[in-house]
Amino acid sequence: MSVTTNAGTPAPMPGSASGTASESAAMGGDAPPRIAIRNLDFFYGANRALKGVTLDLPDRTVTGMIGPSGCGKSTLLRCLNRMYDLYPGQRATGQVLLEGRDIIGGDIGVDELRSRVGMVFQKPTPFPMSIYDNVAFGVRLHERLSKAELDQRVEWSLTRAALWGEVKDRLATPATGLSGGQQQRLCIARTIAVRPEVILLDEPTSALDPISTLKIEELIDELKVDFTIAIVTHNMQQAARCADQVAFFYLGELIEVGPAGQIFTAPREPRTREYITGRFG
Amino acid sequence: MATDGEHVVRSYEQELKRLDTLLAEMGGVVENQVALAAEAIMSRDGEAATRAVELDPRADALEREVEHFVIRLLALRQPVADDLRRVVAALKIAGDFERIGDYAANVAKRSIVLDQFNLPLSLSALANMARLVQQNLKLVIDAVQQRDPDMAMQVWRSDQLIDDLYNTIFRELITYMMEDARNITPCTHLLFIAKNMERIGDHATNVAETVYYTAVGRPIEQARPKGDTSAYAVVRPEA
Repeated sequence: MSVTTNAGTPAPMPGSASGTASESAAMGGDAPPRIAIRNLDFFYGANRALKGVTLDLPDRTVTGMIGPSGCGKSTLLRCLNRMYDLYPGQRATGQVLLEGRDIIGGDIGVDELRSRVGMVFQKPTPFPMSIYDNVAFGVRLHERLSKAELDQRVEWSLTRAALWGEVKDRLATPATGLSGGQQQRLCIARTIAVRPEVILLDEPTSALDPISTLKIEELIDELKVDFTIAIVTHNMQQAARCADQVAFFYLGELIEVGPAGQIFTAPREPRTREYITGRFG
Repeated sequence: MATDGEHVVRSYEQELKRLDTLLAEMGGVVENQVALAAEAIMSRDGEAATRAVELDPRADALEREVEHFVIRLLALRQPVADDLRRVVAALKIAGDFERIGDYAANVAKRSIVLDQFNLPLSLSALANMARLVQQNLKLVIDAVQQRDPDMAMQVWRSDQLIDDLYNTIFRELITYMMEDARNITPCTHLLFIAKNMERIGDHATNVAETVYYTAVGRPIEQARPKGDTSAYAVVRPEA
């Protein structure tokens, strides 16, 4: 695997110009992928949940993962930051390369990995502490910042998560007092506060109302300027709206991956077509 | 085409089938209009002409119904992939069918005027052209129903022949007009009739392209053979 020139440098700083990001986005297919999944198998005990998956997550794009329940899409997402370490009897083979270093092979320590590959879950998971502390929590673990720097980081994160305006006057109040949609944006703020390169979203809007859902989708669109995003969703329209590339999984296999426009107008594989049109063959 | 399985939501499947039924009915109406218009010219049959014209409101109403139905389907079902192509295709095909009906009605109206003249020429080329146009129209209507890209390609390729015939008729009619100024009125009507028939062929070709795209998922890759060259034609009186 080739290593990008900006390997190791922290992803977007507060206030960093978005010009460089859009330039690299414009480079499109030529740039090496942020994450390269190679021939990945995953087992829960004897059950093979992923079968030889090979997929690139291009830098600063949104990859949507769709497929029926049990198809392996959430398992794949959990392989990308080794969330599966927590499961008993699990085993992964193959490679997941983050800028050339193998996540599966343990080239990257779990702490470093999770600061570089952040995750947002289906249900909002605010910590039982203030809004400010929720966002600052991860930053304090990974970095030593002055009070002013930390304040700045919290404001930046909440601003990028499109929540700052709504909470700036009550940062000290408990996060659990926020609405569901606000809590989910807070979780996104908490995730980006440690300046990861990759954000994993596991059905981030399935517990939200339609307007909160659209706000998250708008946020995803803004975040992809700086971050590489993978989103698992049961809502195909959401994948169509948010994702640049869409990957369809079925029974642990990657059936088809392509630009969202192609997948939703002219999928190549019959199984993709049957699934997205609501038919099962 | 290979949309094999039934949709999980049965009412959605029924709505897609309803769209097919509407297009089938519309195809039948305009096919009938074109047949009547051709009959009106060839057999100098005023009654056929009237019937062709009278069918036009039915074709227009069906087009509006397809339009309404498609907008509803897009809003409520948000079709994707093959279903999306099928629904958008229905909208386009209904538009082409409606134009075909209009041209047929126009041919029929002109046939009534033509009846007042002694025609100086044989209508065999025009008869030939009308026959080919009807063949293509029938084939493309079948292609719509069966979503068959091969039948669509057959229509697409054979439009060239219709265009060639049109170009021949164009030159022939100008020659007759130059010979005798009294021919100008009937020949002008015949010219428009031939042009309308040629346009019907073009719309059948449009439909063929739409059917191909619906079935295959990408447009026909070749350029459409350039047909009507009469735009560049010059016919001079012989010295």
